[in-house]
Parts: sequence; structure tokens; C-alpha cells
Amino acid sequence: MNRDDINRLQAEDVSALAAACVNGAAPPCGGACPFGVEVRSFIQKVEKGRDAAAFKTYRDAVVFPILVSALCPAPCEGACVRAALGGSIDLLNLERFVVGRAKNTRRDSYVIPQKEKRIAIVGAGAAGLSAALCLSLKRYRVTVFEREADWGGELRTHADFGDFDAEFRASFEPLDTEFHFNSEISGYGNLTGFDAIYLATGRAVPAPAEPRDGVFLGGGLVGADLMNSIAQGRQVATQIEAYVQTGAFTEPVAAQCDWTPETDDVPDVPRVIPSQDGGGFTVEEARAEAARCLKCDCDKCVRGCEMLARFHKLPQKIASEVYSDTRANPPFAAHTITREAYSCNDCGYCKSGCQKGIDVGEILRLSRRTRVAADSAPPALHDYWLREMDFSTEPAAFVSAGIGKNTCEYVFFPGCQLGAYNPAHVTRTLELLRGSYDVGIYLGCCGAPAYWAGDDARLEANLAQIRDNRRSLGAPKFIFACTTCAKIFAELLPEIEGVSLYSLLAESGVAAPSGTADFPAAFAHSVIFDPCASNGDEETQNAVRAVVSGLGVELDELPERGKCCGYGGNIQLANPSLYDEITANRAAESDLPYIVYCANCRQVFAERGKECAHILDIILGLDPAPSPDIDGRRRNSLEVKRVIADSFAGVSVSPPENPWDSVVLKIDAETAERADRKLIAQSEIREAIFLAERDRVYFERSDGVRQCSQAKPALVYWVTYKPLRENEYKVIDAYYHRMKFEGADDND
Amino acid sequence: MTDEIWRCAKCDKPLEKRKTVFNYLGRSFTHEVDVCPKCGAVLIPSELAEGKMAEVEEQLEDK
Repeated sequence: MNRDDINRLQAEDVSALAAACVNGAAPPCGGACPFGVEVRSFIQKVEKGRDAAAFKTYRDAVVFPILVSALCPAPCEGACVRAALGGSIDLLNLERFVVGRAKNTRRDSYVIPQKEKRIAIVGAGAAGLSAALCLSLKRYRVTVFEREADWGGELRTHADFGDFDAEFRASFEPLDTEFHFNSEISGYGNLTGFDAIYLATGRAVPAPAEPRDGVFLGGGLVGADLMNSIAQGRQVATQIEAYVQTGAFTEPVAAQCDWTPETDDVPDVPRVIPSQDGGGFTVEEARAEAARCLKCDCDKCVRGCEMLARFHKLPQKIASEVYSDTRANPPFAAHTITREAYSCNDCGYCKSGCQKGIDVGEILRLSRRTRVAADSAPPALHDYWLREMDFSTEPAAFVSAGIGKNTCEYVFFPGCQLGAYNPAHVTRTLELLRGSYDVGIYLGCCGAPAYWAGDDARLEANLAQIRDNRRSLGAPKFIFACTTCAKIFAELLPEIEGVSLYSLLAESGVAAPSGTADFPAAFAHSVIFDPCASNGDEETQNAVRAVVSGLGVELDELPERGKCCGYGGNIQLANPSLYDEITANRAAESDLPYIVYCANCRQVFAERGKECAHILDIILGLDPAPSPDIDGRRRNSLEVKRVIADSFAGVSVSPPENPWDSVVLKIDAETAERADRKLIAQSEIREAIFLAERDRVYFERSDGVRQCSQAKPALVYWVTYKPLRENEYKVIDAYYHRMKFEGADDND
Repeated sequence: MTDEIWRCAKCDKPLEKRKTVFNYLGRSFTHEVDVCPKCGAVLIPSELAEGKMAEVEEQLEDK
């Protein structure tokens, strides 16, 4: 969907993204049932002892519950996923149990006015009676013509016809259906004055050669067996009602099941065998058999994702809310889905596990994109990362094919955070690659922060910049160290050929040319934590394992690959408690140390205190560095640029300078960590103090403590501090708020 | 800390409680905060910024 599509978004564009969701759809048994009995609902009622309610659910579907429960061949059993796990659910005996316990089989009577439309039904076998009953209950004027002397058709010869006959009588007794027995209908001429005709004359009578408006065919006449004949009666009643009201012909909608319930962790439970004479369930047996039913439904995405579990919303509901949210017009019509939209890691986990490939991340990203397009996004939620993107694409950016060269066959694109975490990861990897490849360097950003923020304009500007830079290098292949970069390129710059750094290292044997790397001993036995962006990229996942185990690391596997560490989608400010929950869960998935191949995963686990190395620490034999703070990461990025410009490109670059750089801060570890956790950089603190002191715009207490603020587009920063000596300050606290103040209330 | 008297360094005036208009995501409301009576500079202590204000910000973001 491009930007124009976003501006013209229609409800169906969004609902289409979740339309294939099978939550609430018919389970396999329901799909096999000619009546489309709502089996989950029926069985849940039986299990809870709500037998009367279960009876109504069953009767509403099957029309004649005594007849159907007696004669149904139970195709549901063949479809039941319990079949291999202790035996199919004995649905037929549960139905008989419920029918046998029904004290009141009379249908609820509603005051429905008599309708004027007249319906003729030819044939009083099971098909004709079923349609006659359903239409009579809707209060149409129904006349049934039967050439024999009584109803029942082929059922009349059945040993239990007495029971069925009694059910027919009880069903029609309160209704005013007209029956004309001994009335053979030889042509349409006998049926004048009817608005619709249902021919259910059985298999012995040939169907009329020509279709005619308002004439419907069913039962044995069209080859249906007994159960399908009864089921058709209910369906045709709906079709006839639509026809007489609107003149339209509607196709009957049959319950279908086009999904497979997952039964991986389901233990075998043996089928309950009825103990009574005659084979019926006792009450306890019925409850036990109902409890054995898995009530097959799909909510895998909700179970596997902390975000979906927290909001407890399924894809179709989210899609519907995302669209209605685009119509919001606060304060008249409020947004409803902000927190969900900004709490999604956009990790693709839901999509990778979904039988229908539904990507809730895409739906929620659409919400953020529409918010940005409509200028109604809360800017503070992504401001920090967008500023980091600006930093990566401006002062820290650098592109070169190497000294004396204009073009290169490959270009190494380390991504914005690799060098920020440890400059050696970029500088030494580039050296390693140069030994075997004609490789240039591209320090920049793939645009993930803008992608996650839904900021299409900023994203497109960056993509244009990448295209230009690539062209200037002679269209080299990109070598990605970060799977998020690789994913963004694959989606948005498909014309650019890319390769994973780790696949290249695995293929070429460039990693550890001496045979074994001198990696830290703590990682001799580890697990690989695959980043979420590697979902679906098994080549890279396998290459990473090949490289690491080739270096002598013993590897275990986590239960699942590719669940987000928490960083994805930049949700930390939008939903701090969810971010904490996700990062804690991921860090606890194994007691073994993690080897990651995403700098963001590395940062998250380092902050969590989880023992963790980046794969390049292992390959290059480096001790995993402590996670730098925000300013440390920025300094590292600039250092990478300085070193590479100097040694690789032969040019000298100077980092940007600010007048507040010389401000000396004394800040204890706890205060520094608190500020870093709020994503307040010490450079921001320096700037605020510098400007406040320069312009003398601060507040002061009698003990010398001062307080200053610095308004930025999305935030207002505050620093509480105390001057120590010339240009040196003790930082007591740093915080921010998102509101702006406009001045005194004039009405005060 | 909030019991202490803050002075505006520029105007050398003690701050006074004044109703002040705040704005977030297109909505305005008033709250009583410490303000310099001369230049109108507003002081927001951390307890307010990270307490009540953060709560209201979140509520408004959700609307």
C-alpha cells in the first residue's frame, strides 16, 4: 500500500488484511456437518450442564432433533481431530443425551405478524417438512401438497417412524401450515397464486426440465440423502425468504472448515464409553465426554504474543478498529486503538505462526501510517528514535568505495547500531571483508525507525538517498550485518541485491581464518537468539549457526526462533510496562548465555543483565563490551566514521561540535542510568544547563539547587542541578513531559 | 523539595502558584503550578511531570 492508498484508505482495504482469520470459524466437525451445528457452543453448554440451552442450539440447526439424532451417520466423527488422540468425540451420543433430557421441546413462541406471501411446498417427506416448518415459523402462508395420504415420505417404512411422526405433529401443532394430502401436482398450473414454490418430491420424480423464477428444488429430487434433505429445507427457507422479499436469488452458505487445529501439546484422553443399557450416556459420562472435546478454535497469535495477549484482541477486531480509528476526529470522536498500534513490535511472529499468514503488525503499522499522514500521531512516542535516525543519516553517515576508487562490487552496510555498540564490529569486519572482496562502506540507516513510526515521508526520503548513494558506487551488492536492514531492503528496495554478512562469512570461510576464534570462555556453551527480523530467513539463521559452531561454540536451541527481544517497533516509550514484560520474558528463555546477531537485541539483553555476546564478538575474539549509554553510542558511531574515513577512504572528518560539549557533568551512576532509561542523553542535559546558565533562565532555591528546562519539538526536558565550579555541575535529576505550557490562564 | 521556595533567577522573584494553560495533542486545560509573577516562566517539578502529567498525557494519547 503506497502513500496515496493510505490517504484513500477504505474499510475493505483494512478488513482484507485479516479476512482470512479463522478465529470463530467452523471447526473440522462443524465443517463436516450438513447442518453446520455450532459444535463448540453446543458442547460447551453440555459440559457446563446447560442441557436445555444445548438442546435449543441443536434444534435450531437440525430442525427435527429426535429424527436427526436417531438417524444421523455422524460425519463429524470422521473430521474430529481427537480421532488420533483417544478417539473422536461421541457427538451423536451427546446429541441423543441432550434430546433425551429435553423437558420442554416446544419452540418459544414470538408474536410475529402473519406474512402475506404464500409458499407452496410439493412433497411432505423430510425435505418438504423441514422447509415447511422453517417457513411456517417465520409466519409465511405455507401450503404443503402431498400425493400420499400422510407425511413422512420414505421415512414411513422406518421402524421408529412412530417417534418421528410424533415429532412432526408436535412441531406443526402450534402452526397454521396447510397440508393437502392425496394431492398430486402435475404441473405449475396447479400452483397459481404462490409467490414461491419448493419442489421436494423425492428421488422417484424427475426434476422439471426448465428452471423457473421462484421455483426451488431440494431433497431427493436433487440427489440429497436424508440428512442433507433436512438441512436443505432450512437453507431453502432462507433463500425463499430472500426471494419473496427482494426478488434476489441467494446462494446458500454452508459451514466450511479450511483450517487445521494444532494438537501438538494435546494429551490422549480415551473416548467415554456409554455404560447404560441401550448405549446412552449418563449425566457424568456426557459431561466427561464434552470436557474431552478440544473446542477447536484458533487463537495462536494471541497466545504467542505478549502484546495481543495483553489487549486480548483478535486480528479481525483489530482490523475493524484500525479502520474506524482513521475516522476519529478528536475531541468529537476519540481514537480507540492508539496504545495497541504503538505497542506492536512488528516482529512478524504472528504471521510466521498463522495458517493464513495474517500479519497483525502490518495492520497496526497501517494505523500508525494513517495517524502520521493525518498529522494526528502522538509525536513523543517515536521522537527519540527518529532523532537517532537523523543522527545516523546525517553526522554519522559516510559512503565510500575506498581510497582512489569510485565503485565497488560489494558495499558493507553495518546498520546504525552495530558500530554504536562497538566500533570494532564495523572497522574490523570491514578489514576482514576487504581481504576477500571488492568492498566499499555505507554508514547510514535503513529507515527502520521511520518504518516503525509510520512516517512514510521520512522513510521515502531515506530510501531515495540510499538509491542515490548506491548508484554513485556503481550499484554494488549490499552486505547486511543487521536482519532488520535486510528485511527493510527486501520489502522496500527489492531492486537492490543483498546478502547477509553471516551467510558470506559462512560460505567463504572468512570468519576465523586461523581455524578457531579466541572467543570469551563464558560463551563456549550458548544459545543463538535469532532476531525477529530473521523470521522466514532460514538461510541467515543457519549461516549464523554454521559460523558459530564452526568456531567451536557448543550450541543449544531455544524453544522458538525469532520472537522479538522487545526492541522491535520502538515500543519502549509507548508502553514501558509491556516492553519490560517482553524483555524479561526473552531474557529468561534460557539459562545459557545468548549469542545474538542484532545490535538491538544485544543492547536489550545487556540492559537486562543477561549474559550476551554479539556474534561478531565471537568471530573477532572480542570481550562483549558493556552496553554504552546514549552518548556513548553516538560517540562510537562518530568514531567509526572517523576511523573508516581516515584509514579506508583517506579523508579526514571532524565530528560536529556544540558549544555545550565542554560542560562537565557530575552525575552518579544511579541518576545516569535513570536518565538513560528514560532515553535522556547527557548531551541533552548539557545543552539545557548550558543555555540556562548562558541566558540566566533557571530557577534557584536557597540551597543553591537550580532547575532549568529546554523545550524540544516533542518534549520539554527538565534538569535539576547544582553548580560545583566554573562550567561543572552536579546533576540531581533529569526528566521530561510531553505537554507544552501556553502561559497564564487569562480567566484566573 | 517542593516545599522550598524557588526564585526566578532572571527576575529575582519568588514563584507563585498560578493557573496555567497546558496543551497536548490539540487539547488545552489548566492546572495550578509555580510561575514567575514577572516573566511568566513555569516550573514543573519531577513529581508532577512523571506523575499526574504523565497520566494525563497517556489518557490523551489514547483518545
